[in-house]
Amino acid sequence: MRETVLAVERLSVHRGAYEAVQEVSFSLEAGTDLAIVGPNGAGKSTLIQAILGILPCQSGHVAVLGASLSRAGKLPPAVRQQIAYLPQSFSFDRRIPMTVAELVGLGWDQLGLQLPWAGRRARGRAIRQALAQVDAISLIDQSVGGLSGGETKRVLLAYCLVRPRRLLILDEAPAGLDVRSESDFYQLLSDLKQEQGWAILQVSHDLEMVRRNCDRVVCLNRRLLCQGIPEVALSLESLTTAYGSEFAHYRHQHSEH
Amino acid sequence: MAPSSRTIGISIQNTSDSNMSISTELTATLARVIDLFQFPFMQRALLGGILTGLMGGLLGSFTILRQLSFFSDALGHSALLGISLAVLLGLNPALVVLPFAVLFGLGVTYLLEKTQLWTDALLNIIYSSSLALAVITLSFVGQYKGGLNNLLFGDILAVREIDLWLSGLLLLGCILFIGLTLRTQMLLTLNEPMAKARGVAVSAQRSAFIVLLSLVVAVSIKAIGVLLVSAFVVIPACASQLLCQKFTHHLLLSAALGALSAVFGMLLSAVFNLPSGPSIVVVQVTMFLGAAILPHFRATV
Repeated sequence: MRETVLAVERLSVHRGAYEAVQEVSFSLEAGTDLAIVGPNGAGKSTLIQAILGILPCQSGHVAVLGASLSRAGKLPPAVRQQIAYLPQSFSFDRRIPMTVAELVGLGWDQLGLQLPWAGRRARGRAIRQALAQVDAISLIDQSVGGLSGGETKRVLLAYCLVRPRRLLILDEAPAGLDVRSESDFYQLLSDLKQEQGWAILQVSHDLEMVRRNCDRVVCLNRRLLCQGIPEVALSLESLTTAYGSEFAHYRHQHSEH
Repeated sequence: MAPSSRTIGISIQNTSDSNMSISTELTATLARVIDLFQFPFMQRALLGGILTGLMGGLLGSFTILRQLSFFSDALGHSALLGISLAVLLGLNPALVVLPFAVLFGLGVTYLLEKTQLWTDALLNIIYSSSLALAVITLSFVGQYKGGLNNLLFGDILAVREIDLWLSGLLLLGCILFIGLTLRTQMLLTLNEPMAKARGVAVSAQRSAFIVLLSLVVAVSIKAIGVLLVSAFVVIPACASQLLCQKFTHHLLLSAALGALSAVFGMLLSAVFNLPSGPSIVVVQVTMFLGAAILPHFRATV
């Protein structure tokens, strides 16, 4: 039996007075992936941010590798180190002097108190390996301010891959990648899952991609509408029967992509 | 306005003697400057300038990248309120200005987190009100024996040994804080949500940095004055930002430019008999202009 990496039970999250996520429950096992789908404003990114401890949870329970997330969003550092997160939009001041190697290296660091030169060689090796994995080794000395949208995405993925993890959380990660990079991206995710046993949780609007690549799907519209394997959770009959015309219309719009 | 801060008693010898060659004149000036730096007060001033430059440059790199430049300016001006209250109550201004600066820093951080106001607008409110209260307080004091000009423009030549110890300890604190949490500070500067996702206690880290910056500004006020203190934090860091692509290079160059500007500023002050604090700022601005021009010069060569 596979180890449960992420367990979410009856989780509710507020954004101000608005209840953006209502009593959502699901789990994610090692070596599998799960896609969260739903219309705009369904609470997908809010749910992810609550799981990461960026937003406070109102009620319910989140556990990562058996460790409970506190109400203040804290996890033991050893568990936190096992999580990689690629946000939906990565906004930063492009005038900040930082190279690609420096950014990717931040993913390798423990972020506690440490000497700046600690593990310098291993760090450098890991940075080069991670950049090679995402086909971005040529960018290693470039300034992050000069990267294109697609290059930024690949570099951020290297930031996630630079150290072995157990849980990868992606919020609409492939947006901005060209067709070839997107195909490579899903191949990479598949390798991480099958060969290294990573558990992958991703938010996506691309239902066809989800149908092709993901093991399980959670349909969300503030509350959990359905979950299961893609054939069941994303069948037109299932969506129309269970969630009415609104969701069926949404599915129709997005499967056109 | 003619600043009354103490200036260095060196003047270039009258060159009316046309037989005196330029090289002899330069040698004589150099000899005088070397003689001048034999005095303990000049050595203290130089060391004080270097320590202040290193601290300002080190924290300045993060300050400008986090768009907190106006914070150091506002704190410098607001510190005048702490100093004037100390004078009114008959306390030592140096002892009052440190806790005042820390409270100011924490107060501003709290207000920024709890209100929806823009940082520069909030700082403007606090800084204007502090300055107004400081001027009213000083009107009750009458004649301040330390001299208002010394508060405004500083007096680096009056730096004492205890001030150097304080600056040295603070520099050590800055090096330890930045050195041991460098990657955390870099990620926090780059993208806050990603730092939060990694479990960084963002609020605590932000407050720690602001407290350190407040202490550096407060300690530097004696040497540079409330009007120019932010230059030490902002200008070397901006010059360094124009020259560096790597974050670590930017950090180190910023500190180095801070220290170098203090050395060359003191020399400028000694040679041309100019006020010391403003001379250092003039050197910093010259460095900044050089950094702004250098990439264009490289491109055309």
